Amino acid sequence: MIAIDRLTKSYAQQAVLRGISFRADPSAITLLVGPNGAGKSTTLKVLAGLIRPNDGLARVNGFDVVVDRIKAQRTLAYLPQSPSFHPLLTCLEVLRFYAGLRGVMKARCEAMLELTGLTDVARVRTGKLSGGMRQRLGLALLLLADAPVLLLDEPGLSLDPAWRKRLQKTLHFEAQRGKTVLVTTHLIAEWNNVADRCLLCRDGAIERELDPTDLPHNFDAPALGSARVSRVGEGVPAFADFSRAMPKACFGETPKPARETRALPGTQ
Amino acid sequence: MNLATSPLIETNALRALLAREFRAALINRYFQVFCALSLLGGFTAILFSEDQNATGFFVLQIALYFVSLFALLAGVSSAQGEREEWQLLFSQPVPRPAYVVGKFLSLFSIFGAVLLLLFLPALITGSAAPTLALLYAQTLLLAAAFLSLGLAAGFLAHDRAQALIIGVSAWLFLLVGVDLLALFAARWPMFQNVTDLWVAVLMLNPLDAFRIEALFALQQIPAEAANKTPLAAWWIEHAAAWFTLISIFWSAALIAIAGQRLNRWEE
Repeated sequence: MIAIDRLTKSYAQQAVLRGISFRADPSAITLLVGPNGAGKSTTLKVLAGLIRPNDGLARVNGFDVVVDRIKAQRTLAYLPQSPSFHPLLTCLEVLRFYAGLRGVMKARCEAMLELTGLTDVARVRTGKLSGGMRQRLGLALLLLADAPVLLLDEPGLSLDPAWRKRLQKTLHFEAQRGKTVLVTTHLIAEWNNVADRCLLCRDGAIERELDPTDLPHNFDAPALGSARVSRVGEGVPAFADFSRAMPKACFGETPKPARETRALPGTQ
Repeated sequence: MNLATSPLIETNALRALLAREFRAALINRYFQVFCALSLLGGFTAILFSEDQNATGFFVLQIALYFVSLFALLAGVSSAQGEREEWQLLFSQPVPRPAYVVGKFLSLFSIFGAVLLLLFLPALITGSAAPTLALLYAQTLLLAAAFLSLGLAAGFLAHDRAQALIIGVSAWLFLLVGVDLLALFAARWPMFQNVTDLWVAVLMLNPLDAFRIEALFALQQIPAEAANKTPLAAWWIEHAAAWFTLISIFWSAALIAIAGQRLNRWEE
């Protein structure tokens, strides 16, 4: 279980988290969505013990992530947005190293490689892996310790549609096993009907809770129109448009009409 | 059993860190080159030295310049080598200073093995074994101090270039800077009257402490020969013990600094 209460964090007088509070319960996938700079990744990094908050409380399975960092970290597994590994070590060596750090039986490493489809590249150095394979190795690491809390920061950005779907199925399975799964993402449409809860984060706080079964229609550009998103919109699809433009076909859904999938000028 | 709360975590963590560093060092070209150069240095020492004492001096020069620099670079490389992985590493339930200690212990062990390549040729050909064995132990302690310096520079810096600048500058300062500074300051009468001050400065520098200890040991000069000040006399008499103490102090202090830095690190 994750409990965050009035968490604040600033960098050089710029507030990133402004009193964010929420709970993520076991046996559920909780989605944290929002525009760039909303504080989603920072929240996850606080939970993972990578950032100290200025104020507020963050607990993972009852352990304060600042006071009892190691105890909290024993109960969680964190997948960064772009996982990096020692480039000279092979996939199997990387997994065995992390298994050793967490006191996990080494035999589990092979099982994780099989689960993530990396058995064929088990003895390939991670420096030679593609972006998608690195993500899958990150997923293998996430599941390696069988931690009760899973934190995923923008997972699947480098994965192909089939593996994205498989990732969601895996997380759904882990949630059914009683785990607390917290995911940040931009790809809202892909997570429609997958998450149990969805929290909209903006300007370092939770703005409101969204219906996880109707995510694409919960959004429109004005609703997310923070200054940061507006600036991004000059050259990149705005948040809402981006989410609608994602390949829904891979989930067997009917693509939206053209007017809803259009990108902003200058992006095509 | 919940694997995430296994009691084996602590003991396994250090073992995993050591195994990873060993593995990474074995396939690191940097260390492969170091091995080759050490062996080459060892053979060069016996080929071009006229007598056994000269062999010792040759090895001493290699240790002073080559080993100290390589140890420093190995430390910097190891600290900076996985910087992009820190997010994953530091989200694991392991105290961050353990990464510094793990790196130091494994690199120290590797240096212990590689330095044998430098000393073995001289030992095999019959050079004074006890003297060379002592020099080997002292070279290993010197390597430990500079490994720690490299690790501290690597963890304190923001990137590899900055780490190299900090590390190599510190090495140059200890190698020649301290002596030059002492020579420069000696021009003032105010400092000339406090001769023990110069001795103390040299004593605190691990390279000078190593140089003085090794030279006196190899030359078998009696301590009385350098009996110019009370502190100098004491130093020369206890040169080996002092060098051991000062190199351990430098290693421990620098490892503690690196560990503190990692503890404060934020993404």
